[in-house]
Amino acid sequence: MALKQKFDAGKFVILAEMEPPKGVDGSAMVSHAKRVKERVDAFFIPEMNHAVMRMSALGGAMLLQREGMETIMQICCRDRNRLALQGDLLAAGACGVANIAVVDGEDPSYGDHHQARPVHDINTLELLNAIQGLKEGRDLAGVEITGSPAFLAGSTTHAGARGRSTELELEEIERRSEAGARFFVTPPVFDPELIRPFLQRMDSRRTILIPTVLLLKSLGMARYMERNMPHIFLPPAIIERIQRAPDKVRECVRIAIELVSALKAQGVKAVMLSTLGWEHKLADIVEAL
Amino acid sequence: MIVAAKKPIEEIIEQVKGLRSVLVLGCNECVTVCEAGGKKEVGVLASALRMYFLQQGREVNVGEHTLERQCDTEYLEEIRNNIDAYEAVVSLACGVGIQFTAERYPSKPVYPGVNTCFMGAALERGVWAERCQGCGSCILASTGAVCPVTRCAKRLLNGPCGGSTAGKCEISKDVDCAWQLIVDRLKTLGRLEDYETLCPVKDWSTDRAGGPRKVIREDLRS
Ligand code: SF4
Ligand code: SF4
Repeated sequence: MALKQKFDAGKFVILAEMEPPKGVDGSAMVSHAKRVKERVDAFFIPEMNHAVMRMSALGGAMLLQREGMETIMQICCRDRNRLALQGDLLAAGACGVANIAVVDGEDPSYGDHHQARPVHDINTLELLNAIQGLKEGRDLAGVEITGSPAFLAGSTTHAGARGRSTELELEEIERRSEAGARFFVTPPVFDPELIRPFLQRMDSRRTILIPTVLLLKSLGMARYMERNMPHIFLPPAIIERIQRAPDKVRECVRIAIELVSALKAQGVKAVMLSTLGWEHKLADIVEAL
Repeated sequence: MIVAAKKPIEEIIEQVKGLRSVLVLGCNECVTVCEAGGKKEVGVLASALRMYFLQQGREVNVGEHTLERQCDTEYLEEIRNNIDAYEAVVSLACGVGIQFTAERYPSKPVYPGVNTCFMGAALERGVWAERCQGCGSCILASTGAVCPVTRCAKRLLNGPCGGSTAGKCEISKDVDCAWQLIVDRLKTLGRLEDYETLCPVKDWSTDRAGGPRKVIREDLRS
């Protein structure tokens, strides 16, 4: 069953983030994905996260798709203008990518090519509209295309992030939903309570909230996030738990597993597992779910 | 200088049509030189607006004032005492002046009366052309003082594209090819060897890549 059908049927869906390689050797990416493919519904392929140059999301998606794994390809407005974005969408559609996640993209100053000129010819909302247009058979210039893609489109939301107004966030979800976005991926969530207001007010038949469950890797990482990422709420109890645990890595895996269960119990229809380079740990998480 | 063009009067009317009073605020600097927002243009726009309101049968107080500079807080103080007589301001300064006026008077709506276009100069009376995009890291030394960032349609930094024809740019026969100009100029200067030197991939972080920019001179800060 394809991802869209699972969403339609209201099934609980597990996504796993799979970053493409920095280079042409995709073997690790493919083998990590293969190990968990029976338990993961689709792989989320980011488009040069944090503006770090690596294989494009389209390339990464292809590596998995040709092995029979479904992907959600992220597409970002930072690196391409409307011609290139639409061109790659057509390429993705023709190559069998069925799901697209649209983001604006972080500024190049975050990444490893900080002298690069960002493009931002169009933004998330406009790109969602462009996807809608392609699905209906027209490009952004209004010209008819031959064969339209049947994408399931989605985007991001700051739902569950600290210091954000729930009202504004819901309004933004609504705006993007009207532009065709069906699913919304959140930043890492460590306290399921924070997304409760969104679950209560979003109609999951129309808009699906996908909380990100980030695998912490160490006490240092947890503390760093706590201190330097004010938008992410990391409850002190989690930090203490890792601190007390004799096997910190195992504890982090356990925390991720518990978070998924707690979110599921709360009624979310999907989660995205993000392991940031520790994709070999994905199996430990998904096998316990 | 900063070159601006007058906004179509219909667009300005759309912004101000519901007001009971409005101040048309000009600037004595760039927009005066490019004849888009100086004292003369303030007078012309104010008259046009009065005429419009008269035709609508409405009594609207249209004020006129021109500051030495709108991009200077000191000069902006000049209207402190009479700005409250107006519901809003139509600023004929460049985008900088418009925003500075709004920042100085936070509760006053300020509308743009010009379209700010570029940094350039007059080629002849009534014709202005772009010369600099403020990339923040000037390379004119190696290009014979002709800016390829601004004047090449593709911002190419290492010679022309394949579309350069008879000295003209592929986008229009009315546009000079920047690289033709650069090569001609280097030839005149006897420095054609500069053309052979490869320009490194440009650091756009001094341009807009790093977000809105600031220049900070510690030696001048008090
Ligand atoms: S190189 Fe940059 S600073 Fe120099 S003229 Fe061109 S745009 Fe302006
Ligand atoms: S023809 Fe000349 S100015 Fe025009 S894009 Fe090519 S190199 Fe640049």
